[in-house]
Amino acid sequence: MFPIDIRPERLTEEMLDYSRKLGQGMENLLNAEAIDTGVSPREAVYREDKLVLYRYQAPEGVERNPVPLLVVYALVNRPYMTDLQEDRSTIKGLLASGQDVYLIDWGYPDQADRALRLDDYINGYLDRCVAHICEAHGLDAINLLGICQGGAFSLCYSALHPERVRNLVTMVTPVDFKTPDNLLSAWVQHMDVDLVVDTMGNIPGELLNWTFLSLKPFSLTGQKYVNMVDLLDDPEKIKNFLRMEKWIFDSPDQAGETFRQFIKDFYQRNGLIEGGIRIGGREVRLKDIRCPVLNIYALQDHLVPPDASRALKGRTGSPDYTELAFPGGHIGIYVSGKAQKEVTPAIGRWLNER
Amino acid sequence: MKNDWLQIQREYWEQLTAMGRKAAGLEAPATNLWEQAIDHWWQTLAPAAPDLARDFMGKMIEQGKMFFRVADGFTRDLGVAGAAGTDGWQAINRTLEDMQKAFGGGLQGGDDALHKMLAFWELPYDNWQRMMSSLSPIPGDLLRNMPHDQVKDSVHRFLSAPGLGYAREEHSQYQDLVRRTLAYQQALQEYLSFFSNIGVKSAMRMREALEGLAAEGKTINSARALYDTWVGCCEAVYGEEVQSADYARIHGQLVNAQMALKHRMSVMVDEALGALNMPTRSELRTVQDRLQETRREYKALRQEVERLKRQLASTPAEPPPAPAPARISASAPALSKKAPVRKKTPASRG
Repeated sequence: MFPIDIRPERLTEEMLDYSRKLGQGMENLLNAEAIDTGVSPREAVYREDKLVLYRYQAPEGVERNPVPLLVVYALVNRPYMTDLQEDRSTIKGLLASGQDVYLIDWGYPDQADRALRLDDYINGYLDRCVAHICEAHGLDAINLLGICQGGAFSLCYSALHPERVRNLVTMVTPVDFKTPDNLLSAWVQHMDVDLVVDTMGNIPGELLNWTFLSLKPFSLTGQKYVNMVDLLDDPEKIKNFLRMEKWIFDSPDQAGETFRQFIKDFYQRNGLIEGGIRIGGREVRLKDIRCPVLNIYALQDHLVPPDASRALKGRTGSPDYTELAFPGGHIGIYVSGKAQKEVTPAIGRWLNER
Repeated sequence: MKNDWLQIQREYWEQLTAMGRKAAGLEAPATNLWEQAIDHWWQTLAPAAPDLARDFMGKMIEQGKMFFRVADGFTRDLGVAGAAGTDGWQAINRTLEDMQKAFGGGLQGGDDALHKMLAFWELPYDNWQRMMSSLSPIPGDLLRNMPHDQVKDSVHRFLSAPGLGYAREEHSQYQDLVRRTLAYQQALQEYLSFFSNIGVKSAMRMREALEGLAAEGKTINSARALYDTWVGCCEAVYGEEVQSADYARIHGQLVNAQMALKHRMSVMVDEALGALNMPTRSELRTVQDRLQETRREYKALRQEVERLKRQLASTPAEPPPAPAPARISASAPALSKKAPVRKKTPASRG
C-alpha cells in the first residue's frame, strides 16, 4: 500500500483553509492590544548602572517566609519569562507559597559595559543586591534562586560568599558543561572566543539567537509558524504566542569581557567541574557551598541537558542536597501549566521547611 | 482607517477565494496560483498593516509557502502516476532521487517545484545570513555566489605580489583582507555543503519513514501531515549530524572566519579614522577599560567605607578618661579643657 494519498482537491482545500485562517488572524492581530510583559505588581528598590532590583508585592492573606528570596536570572534573554502572564508565572507561584520575592533585572548592556567582568557581576552587582536586601530585612543571609546562567552565577556567589546564602535553589543550571549531549558546548569548543570578543566588543543578541535557533532550525524557524496558523482564530492564543515570540527575540547583548570569561572558563574549560575558575582573585570551589541546595532540572531540556545539571550532586559541601526532575523543557519549566502546579509549590515548600 | 483597511482585506479575500475555486477545478494542485494570490493579497495589505502584524503575518506567509511547496514537491508526480500502488512508489522514489541529486549538486538543478521545495533546506543558512546582515554593512549572502574558481589565479597573483615603499603596509593590509575574505568564503562553502549532505540523508530518512508507514498500513492524506513527517525526518537527521566533531569544527570555522574578516575591516576603519584625526574604536576601548577599572576600585572602596562606618557606629563609644585630680595653683590659668587623644580602634586602621 502506498502511504501518500493527498487528492488535489484536498490540497486546494488546505490552501484555502490556510488563507482563511491568515485572514482571520489579520483581523485578530489588528484588535490585539500591545504585548505586556511581567504581570505581578512590583517596585524598584535598588538601582545601579543598568541593573534594577525589584521587590514583588506579596498577596494578602499569605504567611510570609521571613527570609527573602532573590531570583537571579541569566544575562541571556530577559527575566520577564519568570512572570510572563497571569496563569504562567513562576514569580506568582513563589509569592503564593509565601516567599518574599526579589528579582534582578540586569538590563541591556551597551558598549560602555563591554569591560564588565564576572567579578563585576558576581562580587559587584549581585553582592550589592544581596547586601541591600540583608540590610532592609536586618538579616545576615537570604535565599537565592538562580536560573540557567543565573544559576551558575548563584553557585559561584554561594561558593565565594557562603555566609550570605541561607538556602540555594538552582533551576535548569548547567554545572558540567561538557556532557556529550550538550550541543551548545560542542559548538563553542572550536570558537576562538578571544577573536569574537576582540572583534565585536559586546556579543550581539542576534548571534546568540542564531545559535539557539540552530539547535532545531526546521521546527523553530519553520514549523512553529505553520502550526501557529491553527491558533489564529483565538485572540488570546495569538497574544500568548506573541508574548513568547517577543521574549525569544528580546536578547540583550552580552558584555564582552564577561562573555569571554564565561565561555572560556565554563564552556571550554568546564571549570565548575575541573576547577580553575577565579573570580575577583578567588577560586570558585563548589565544596565551599555549605547551605541546603535544591537542584531542579528539566528532563527534555535541549539547552541544558539533565546530566549537565545533575552533575551538582555530590560536588557541593552541603549535607542537605535535594533534586527535582521536571518532565518538560527549558522554557516549559517556567511557563507550562504543569510547572505552575509542581515546580513553584515544591520550591516554596522546600524553602519554608528550612 | 481601520474599517477601510478591513474592507480592502475583505475584497482581496473574495478574489483569493475565487482563485481557490478555480484551482480546485484543475487537475494538479495549483501551488503557484495560491502563492500568487497570497502574494497579491499580502502586497496590498502589508504597507497599511501595523508593524507587529506585518512581521508576524510575513513569517506565516513565508512559512506557509514553504509548507505547500514541500507538499507540492512530494506529490507533483503522483497525479501523473495516477492510482496509488507501485506507480506511487516509482513517483516518490523519483522525487527523492531528484532531491538527493539536487542536494549533491549544492541545491542546484531539478525542476521548479523541486527547487522551491529545497529552499526549505536553506532555513539554517537563511538564519545565518540574516544574523550576519544585522551585524555587518555587507549583505550576509554577498559571498555565497561569488565566483571563486574563475578568479582564483588573478587573486593569487595579487596576494603573492609584495608591497613596496610607503604603500607597503597598506598593500599588505588589503592582501590580508582578501585572504580573510577567501577564507570566509571557503568556510561558508563547507558549511553549505555539510547541509547538502544532511539533505541527502534526510531524503533517505523520508523514504524509510514512508516505508514504515506503508508497513503499518497507515496513510498520509493531508499536506500538513506530509510536511510534519518531512520536518521530523530533517530535524532527526540534523540533530544527529550536528552532534559530530566534524560539524563542531565547521561551525567554529564559520564563526572564526567571519570574525577574522570583520576584525580586519575594523582595523582598517580605525586607521582611516586615525588619519582623519578622529577617535578610533581601539582608543575608545582603552578608555572604557581604564574607566571600568577605576569604577571597580571606586565601588570597592565605597563599600569598604560603608562597612567601616557601620562598624564604627556599632562600636560602643569609649568613656572619656577620668580627669586627673587637678592641683590648682593661684597662678594657674583657667582650665582649658583639651580634647582627649582618641585611641585608634581596630576599625579605623582599615
